[in-house]
Amino acid sequence: MSILEEKLSTQGIAEQISTFESGNEMAATAAAQINYHIMGYFPITPSTEVAQFLDQMKTRGEHDIKLIPADGEHGSAGICYGAAATGARVINATSANGFLYMLEQMPVQSGTRFPMVMNLVTRAVSGPLDIRGDHSDLYYALNTGWVILTAKTPQAVYDMNIMALKIAEHSKVRLPVIVAYDGFFTSHQKRRVEYFKDRSVVQKFVGECPTDYNFVRDLRKPVTVGAHMSGDDFINNHFQQSEAMYNAGEVFKEVAEEYAKLSGREYPVLDLYKMEDADVALFLLNSAAESAKDVVDQLREKGVKAGVISPNIIRPFPAKEIREALKNVKSVLVGERADSYGAHGPNLTHEVKSALQDDKDNKTMVLSRVFGLGGKDFYADDAHAFFEMAIDAMEKGYAEKPFDYYGHIPGNPENVLKPVILPQSGEVFKTGLIDVKMDEETNKLKVKIPPLRALTGKPKRIASGHGACPGCGIFAGLELFFKGIEGDIVTLFQTGCAYVTTTGYPSTSHKQTMMHNLFQNGAATLSGTLEAFMELKRRGEIEVSDDATFVMITGDGGMDIGMGSAIGTALRGHKLIMLEYDNEGYMNTGSQMSYSTPIGHMTSTSGVGKEQRGKAFHHKDTAQIMASTNIPYVFTGSEAFPQDLVKKGAKAQWYAQNVGTVYGKLLITCPLNWKSDDRYGTKIVEAAVNSCFFPLYEVEQGVTTITYNPEEKNKRIALADWLVYMGKTKHLLKDENKHILADFEEEVEKRWLRLKAKHENPML
Amino acid sequence: MSILPKKNELGFFEIRLESIGGLGANLAGKMLAEAGVLSLGLRGSNFSSYGSEKKGSPVKSFIRFCEPDVEIRDHSPIEQPHIVGVFHEALYRTVNVVSGLDAGGIVLVNTEREFDEVKKDLQLEYGTLAIVDALSIAVEEKTKVNTAMLGALYRICDFLDPESMRDVIRKTFTKKYPHLVEPNIRTFDRGYNEVKFKTYEVPVGAEGKAFTRSLPRLGYMTQEIGGVMVSQANSIFKDLSGSRQGFLPEFQQEKCIHCAACDNVCPDFCFVWEEGEDKRGRKQMFLKGIDYQYCKGCLKCVESCPTDALGDLRELLGYADENRVKQNFPYVAGGIQ
Repeated sequence: MSILEEKLSTQGIAEQISTFESGNEMAATAAAQINYHIMGYFPITPSTEVAQFLDQMKTRGEHDIKLIPADGEHGSAGICYGAAATGARVINATSANGFLYMLEQMPVQSGTRFPMVMNLVTRAVSGPLDIRGDHSDLYYALNTGWVILTAKTPQAVYDMNIMALKIAEHSKVRLPVIVAYDGFFTSHQKRRVEYFKDRSVVQKFVGECPTDYNFVRDLRKPVTVGAHMSGDDFINNHFQQSEAMYNAGEVFKEVAEEYAKLSGREYPVLDLYKMEDADVALFLLNSAAESAKDVVDQLREKGVKAGVISPNIIRPFPAKEIREALKNVKSVLVGERADSYGAHGPNLTHEVKSALQDDKDNKTMVLSRVFGLGGKDFYADDAHAFFEMAIDAMEKGYAEKPFDYYGHIPGNPENVLKPVILPQSGEVFKTGLIDVKMDEETNKLKVKIPPLRALTGKPKRIASGHGACPGCGIFAGLELFFKGIEGDIVTLFQTGCAYVTTTGYPSTSHKQTMMHNLFQNGAATLSGTLEAFMELKRRGEIEVSDDATFVMITGDGGMDIGMGSAIGTALRGHKLIMLEYDNEGYMNTGSQMSYSTPIGHMTSTSGVGKEQRGKAFHHKDTAQIMASTNIPYVFTGSEAFPQDLVKKGAKAQWYAQNVGTVYGKLLITCPLNWKSDDRYGTKIVEAAVNSCFFPLYEVEQGVTTITYNPEEKNKRIALADWLVYMGKTKHLLKDENKHILADFEEEVEKRWLRLKAKHENPML
Repeated sequence: MSILPKKNELGFFEIRLESIGGLGANLAGKMLAEAGVLSLGLRGSNFSSYGSEKKGSPVKSFIRFCEPDVEIRDHSPIEQPHIVGVFHEALYRTVNVVSGLDAGGIVLVNTEREFDEVKKDLQLEYGTLAIVDALSIAVEEKTKVNTAMLGALYRICDFLDPESMRDVIRKTFTKKYPHLVEPNIRTFDRGYNEVKFKTYEVPVGAEGKAFTRSLPRLGYMTQEIGGVMVSQANSIFKDLSGSRQGFLPEFQQEKCIHCAACDNVCPDFCFVWEEGEDKRGRKQMFLKGIDYQYCKGCLKCVESCPTDALGDLRELLGYADENRVKQNFPYVAGGIQ
């Protein structure tokens, strides 16, 4: 980052530096300058970068915030809440369904009155899944009891992150605060931004961290946090909260004023653009309001008295200020990037209308439009169109359509999606070449497969044309596994690379039936699908071929956040397969560490630098966790050992159809984030197996068998001979990191010896 | 006095970079914008097209510059740029890279071909074409394509000071990779010096390239409710050849032993098999060839091949089309787009 220093001469304004950065970078900069105590987080686009930037800064020693990678957003909210209860300063960042997943925790935090700051980088809520920005997540926040500031620019993201903490901790408020800014538009677009040169300016502004509340902090002053109440008490608690929220509106003004003196930048409750004499106005939140200002200038040149209103704070809702701003406006269009389905207008439409209702003389017409959902771009001509609607209403004296969507199109019937290939099912996937039988003597399955050449005649389950990176290991792994399965499969893909690259609407790479659900819940979802199939079949309502096999596909990320769902499914024993493709990180969101990332490995949240050397703790042994649920079949596999994997596919199918739940894990290469050469994908996973980092084995009815032992084949290699292939592990081979490599080797050896013991003793 | 050569009605000078994920267009865009903003005191913004695009998928990077007193409030993608930088020629097949280009605009293309050939492929009628063989420069200097492209872009944006970029390069590499400083500066300078220009006269009253905001294929009357799809496997119509970065696997059937090792590791299901009879008259599967439409050039298959049947090939224009063996999908008659 190159920076230009520029002294500001104005009295009282602290020295600032110009930089060229995005909203996420500025949220991280503010957090680092404040030097929060704790950040509990879980990656979700587009907010993930905040934790990544903080991790990078931490590796350079620029702050000492303790960054805690949670097992999901619900967990991250728990970490933050628990930390806030001590009076520590806490920050988080999330988006969309991440926010909804932690929603339960939001009112807990505000109702028990522990301040913290959360960056809500707004994005469309699923489903269908859409990673880009709208305000549907933000609207779920409206009733949580959190103060909500809205930041329109990267500059505002920085400034409001500093103001937010001061508001949250204010004695009249004591509430958590959300800083909401637009996903991608503000979070990722780089602009010129000023920030305080000296972090002590920021720290002085936010002040000392208050310690004199009833915290879980001083054990000489024991407290009970979170006692349950009945309505008689509950209403009083909530009245306090309501008062505190309105106080936050006043405190916002004080803090903004004080901040203006320090920074030279003003944040009034409402950002009013040419509203003094406006006849028509748009009411817009965040980035779209900025874009509309250019259009106001154009309209003003033509003599139209146009203006834009955009709040800087929406909780508490600035009703009084809006009433005043709209006093003489003839027609206002409230444009919203979310809907409140069935309410005849989204939330803020009603709040604006309700604000005006209290002014008996007000005659402003209010139009409402839902626009820009899922990150649909808002161009200048869209703002023009909005103004035209408002002008039309002003001229007619009524609105033709008070509420509508904007930007939706009917579509051309000629373009409807039609099947392009004959349905692929049943017999198509039966080769008759795979033979699976239970050996009554050994109580183990005996599998015969033909040479793999013969199985090339069996169609792939997934079609060409998917959007995975060159050299992606997912699809070779999945297809080899599917080769072992005869007949139909029904798949559920949890959110992750395999899902995203095969189902970009209106395109799909799935030949057989596939469904998606969010990745904390795929196993449970497929349990429901499977049981409903069986029940429908039992009642004679559908005919299901006997050999349909249900497979839940997940990445290692899905096995972190979805661990509870997977274990629950295993314990219930549904007859389905859970297949994990493990690429040692959350690759779909940009290579954040997962619990499966091995120690010392570099990811975007486990950076390598002076203060930190990659991931701090050992990789999760998911296969052993699942084996301990006592399901009938657990296995590991790799594309580097294709016969082994095809056989395991066949066994998995038999157990899933005849006994109960199966879990399997494939180690697959991610050349992009492992920073390895595309062409060596197979070799790298082969080396992982031969180094005993990823042993190939199965646990059949509780009995462990190593299916390929590199020691017996004289193929065992040192861990370093695997690590050398990958850019993410190069540093581990350097002398200064010897101790990490040694620690890693010791852990791998320990797990390998334990596995061998299990292999040798069926009782283990 | 303005240093910006041109401005649109909002006061912006706009640049659009067209690339595929992995070539560093994003970083180049950021560095270009940063140089204008931090070294020259211009205002600017920079962002990329976002989606779940992976490496090898088309991406765009956008740069807006304006005078220090102009506020940048526009967040929308650049539709009518003054300059287009094309990092990857294979993009022409699937992306209209010059969409909306200003009539007097400049297109910079990373190519080893001649002006007129490139002009024809771009369907460029007038304006200035700039060409630079950034790939060869990068290969020779063992650096990255984007640094050479940056050099050429600096030449085009002559209001920027190339010395400031040399400083950035020094700063970036000196500490961690001192041996990379010189090659990268050479790469940048070669891009700057080796870019060639040819102007095709702009007729009076000429208009820029038309741009169309693409509409979604389906609307609310034609989407199945809930976004459910019944067009299984319709991704087979996609052309992924643009993901390749210069290499593809060459298949020599006479050396093939039909072991399926390549098929087992191919992420994109490019290998085409056919049933036939072996010498003893038994039914067997035979590898017929590669469907290059889907091949992203990872070359895993070459590594897996136990014979010399598969090898690396520097891709020449037309090779893939001539040697493609089409996958034999069971198309539904009438269902094809």
